[in-house]
Amino acid sequence: MREYISLLLIVIVLSGCGTTMVINPQTPKYNGATDFKIKGKVVYKGNREYLPKTIKDDLNSVSAVVLRYEYDVTYGRDDVHQAVPLFNPLTVVGFPIGEDTLATCGRLEILKGEKILKSYAACCAFQKTRGLFYEGETFSELRKKGLLEVRNNIEMQMYQDKDFLMKLE
Amino acid sequence: MKTKWLKLSVFFVFLCIALLLNGCATLGPIYQKVDTIQEGKALVYIYRPSSFVGGGISYNVKVGETVITTLYSGGYYPYLAEPGETEFWAKTESKSAVTLDIKPGQTYYIKGTVGVGFFLGRPHLMVVSSDVGAREIAECKLIPEAKIEKK
Repeated sequence: MREYISLLLIVIVLSGCGTTMVINPQTPKYNGATDFKIKGKVVYKGNREYLPKTIKDDLNSVSAVVLRYEYDVTYGRDDVHQAVPLFNPLTVVGFPIGEDTLATCGRLEILKGEKILKSYAACCAFQKTRGLFYEGETFSELRKKGLLEVRNNIEMQMYQDKDFLMKLE
Repeated sequence: MKTKWLKLSVFFVFLCIALLLNGCATLGPIYQKVDTIQEGKALVYIYRPSSFVGGGISYNVKVGETVITTLYSGGYYPYLAEPGETEFWAKTESKSAVTLDIKPGQTYYIKGTVGVGFFLGRPHLMVVSSDVGAREIAECKLIPEAKIEKK
């Protein structure tokens, strides 16, 4: 009986821990994908770290290719009322006391003039539960992780299309 | 025996009153919208809806190591921010942080709450939409500069 209760407590504690991540679309990972680069005029206002490494700003280029990148971060609501964990006896064994959700989406458009030649998009969503023993990553950390995942995903999508993209320059 | 119980009851009542009053900070006037945003800057409202849970706990909200405001239950603070990627954070028993891509002329809302902790309530910051923020901040009161723990 004692073993059963211990096991149950461990299961409850562990069930309250962790972050789940979903990324869309699913793309295979290619080594050296970022060796491939498409040059053009990059239109982007933000942290350069989140910009796909497969695009390169080429100010001297005569090419009319414009690479427009933008991202969006959406925060979910924490629907667990603050008072609930206070009266929930399972809180002390790690039952979730709150939930954080966050989604990051990125979109890259490759244009020539006003015409969109190709566009790539990716989204990454996180769901994290907080417990008394596990606080997990902050929204800032999840946001950064999400934007880097989106960047990497778009790089892989572009690598899959590299034959087409190389003709555009 | 009866006297002992009476003394204990009186002590308990005073303890409850003390705990309740502990959560009451003297805040300023009720929410008033900031009409003009200084050129080249953005407006970030940092607010905390009034709540009995964790009402006695306040915490500092910082950008880098600079204290922007001390967030009390039922309080709000309008912060004029520089454009760019900016992280707002708070810490008691654990850390909570949100990052905004601040664009000039825009208005943002950061909502703070207090969650359950081992010994102390834990801060929780989140970015909310303008609709939600504008609705929830309406009942908050301005946190006066004098109440901000600049350390």
